[in-house]
Amino acid sequence: MKLSTKLFIAGTILIIVVLGLLRYKPWSSNGAVNVRDVVHEGPNDKAKRSLTVGFLPVTCHLTCPVTDFASKTTQSNTNFNSRVFTDFPTVVSALEAKQIEATFMIVPLAMKLREEGVPVKICYLGHRDGSEIIVAKKSSARSLKDLKGKTIAIPSLFSNQNFVIHKLMGDYGLKSTDINFVVLPPPDMPTSLASGAIDGYFVGEPFCAKAELDGYGRVLYYARDIWPNFISCALVVHEDLIKEHPEIVQDLVRGIAQSGAWAETHRAEAAKLVAPYYRQDEKVLNYVLTSEPRRVSYVQLTPTDQDFQLIQDMGIKMGLLKKHIPMDELIDRDFIPKEITPAPIDAAKIP
Amino acid sequence: MAGTMSSATLPKKTTVQSATAKKSNRALSYVLPVAVLLFFVLGWWLISHFNLFPAYALPTPADVVKSFGEEITSGRLYNDVIASLWRVAVGFILSAGLGIPLGLWLGQHLHARQAFLPMLNFFRFLSPLAWIPFAILWFHIGDKPAIFLIFMATFFPLVIATMSAVSTIPAIYFRVAHDYKYKGAELLTKVTFPAVLPQIITSLRVSYGISWVVIVAAEMVGCQDGLGYGIWEARNGLRLDSAVCYMVVIGVLGMLIDRLLIQFTKLPNVRWGYER
Repeated sequence: MKLSTKLFIAGTILIIVVLGLLRYKPWSSNGAVNVRDVVHEGPNDKAKRSLTVGFLPVTCHLTCPVTDFASKTTQSNTNFNSRVFTDFPTVVSALEAKQIEATFMIVPLAMKLREEGVPVKICYLGHRDGSEIIVAKKSSARSLKDLKGKTIAIPSLFSNQNFVIHKLMGDYGLKSTDINFVVLPPPDMPTSLASGAIDGYFVGEPFCAKAELDGYGRVLYYARDIWPNFISCALVVHEDLIKEHPEIVQDLVRGIAQSGAWAETHRAEAAKLVAPYYRQDEKVLNYVLTSEPRRVSYVQLTPTDQDFQLIQDMGIKMGLLKKHIPMDELIDRDFIPKEITPAPIDAAKIP
Repeated sequence: MAGTMSSATLPKKTTVQSATAKKSNRALSYVLPVAVLLFFVLGWWLISHFNLFPAYALPTPADVVKSFGEEITSGRLYNDVIASLWRVAVGFILSAGLGIPLGLWLGQHLHARQAFLPMLNFFRFLSPLAWIPFAILWFHIGDKPAIFLIFMATFFPLVIATMSAVSTIPAIYFRVAHDYKYKGAELLTKVTFPAVLPQIITSLRVSYGISWVVIVAAEMVGCQDGLGYGIWEARNGLRLDSAVCYMVVIGVLGMLIDRLLIQFTKLPNVRWGYER
């Protein structure tokens, strides 16, 4: 009895120690840094500081990994690591815990966080447009009116897609009960449409292009046709980072602006660059970026009061937001560079 | 056991025959599962080859093999396996370390048992996944929320299983213990614990199964790596082939670890519990 008990305890401790060592790698300088965080190790030794920025694998957040790549292959003072998340609640939790201090996020959610007292500010946008309302290819719908009584999927109640579609319903004189809305995770939307579980969906790319490429969906509306200069996501920064390291925020905003300017004119290269970050098929991303310029754009990224006021008003009207937050509390435009030159990314270096 | 004992007393010829029978039995025990597996893969291949399901709904075996290669060469799979194993090990050892002693104590104290049983049952029936929002609020993201969920999933079943095992120990054991004047800690280590050990090992195996199922679900939220996260990420990337590759790893690892736990039932101190 004694021997086997001792053996048992020793074995258990051994397993825990070995697993702990393998998990936290005390011998490596990066420690427990996730291998997923570093897609490209860059040769840029000049950068003395680094920052992890959160994003989701949607093309609205494309400038985030591009900035990551640019910071490591060109001369910048800060190295940016883009950390991929799979859903916004996790992003919020990470931001609240300050595990990340800057992230891309849907705008109404950032407003909600601000409303709840989380000290975050919107410092820049990540894109314009980038979403579509998709219906089944064989559907006879020609406008939103034809979708009366149908089921439409949206990614979150706090998504701008939800706000915008309600605005459009108002324009067509539809009541909010005329369309049946369901909240679905974006990756499930194309397959739900294919199986007939929903009649359409409104979400960011590449989940719209997927349905088109697989041959069962078509675009009913481009976001810009409903809401000019549509925004779904913006760069959200924790106020502590703004106070403690304004120079990092400056680098980040400049990096995103330059990455946007580069991506706007190097679309196929951008698709190739971000595919390993997104872990998505380059073909789908390439289709989103190159097939139709109306789909998404990465210039004009300075947030205006008017952009955000419209979103806030709609949120309050729908009862999802509670109070008007002054725009200067919500937006910080101090870091936006006056001149924006495309990031000097060498396309030949893209692996 | 029985086989070897009887063969020793039987004539030589029969021994040889039973040895060959045993050998072919042993061979069959490998051949049959492999045949079923091959049959399964063949069926899968046929379904995807003849496009019975559209490609976006069922990845082909070749795609899965390819994504296996990608996951292994990028180091992601290794990292995720370690992350999941670490979380399960810590969560599981914490809950066994606290749950088994508590179960032993409750099993010996009737009033305590009466007092705590309803509450233990209440928590046992709460799906650990219901704790996800709190796990994230309290422990944010990383290893801690997953470990917490594993703990919540396994602690209560372990306490209850240990407790009921103790309360079914034949009274005669305690009468004998009384004659030997065993009391307190001695009674626990010399009589109670050995008597319930086989049942504890069985319930450890069962709750390990629960924790392996829970870890995958737990890692889908609030984590940045791990096998469950791998599936979630593959789904976000519209890469079902990679999701299947993770599913295969989860299944195989689960089986291997269970084989390991079965070894405990062969320890000399508990074997009696399985050979009745």
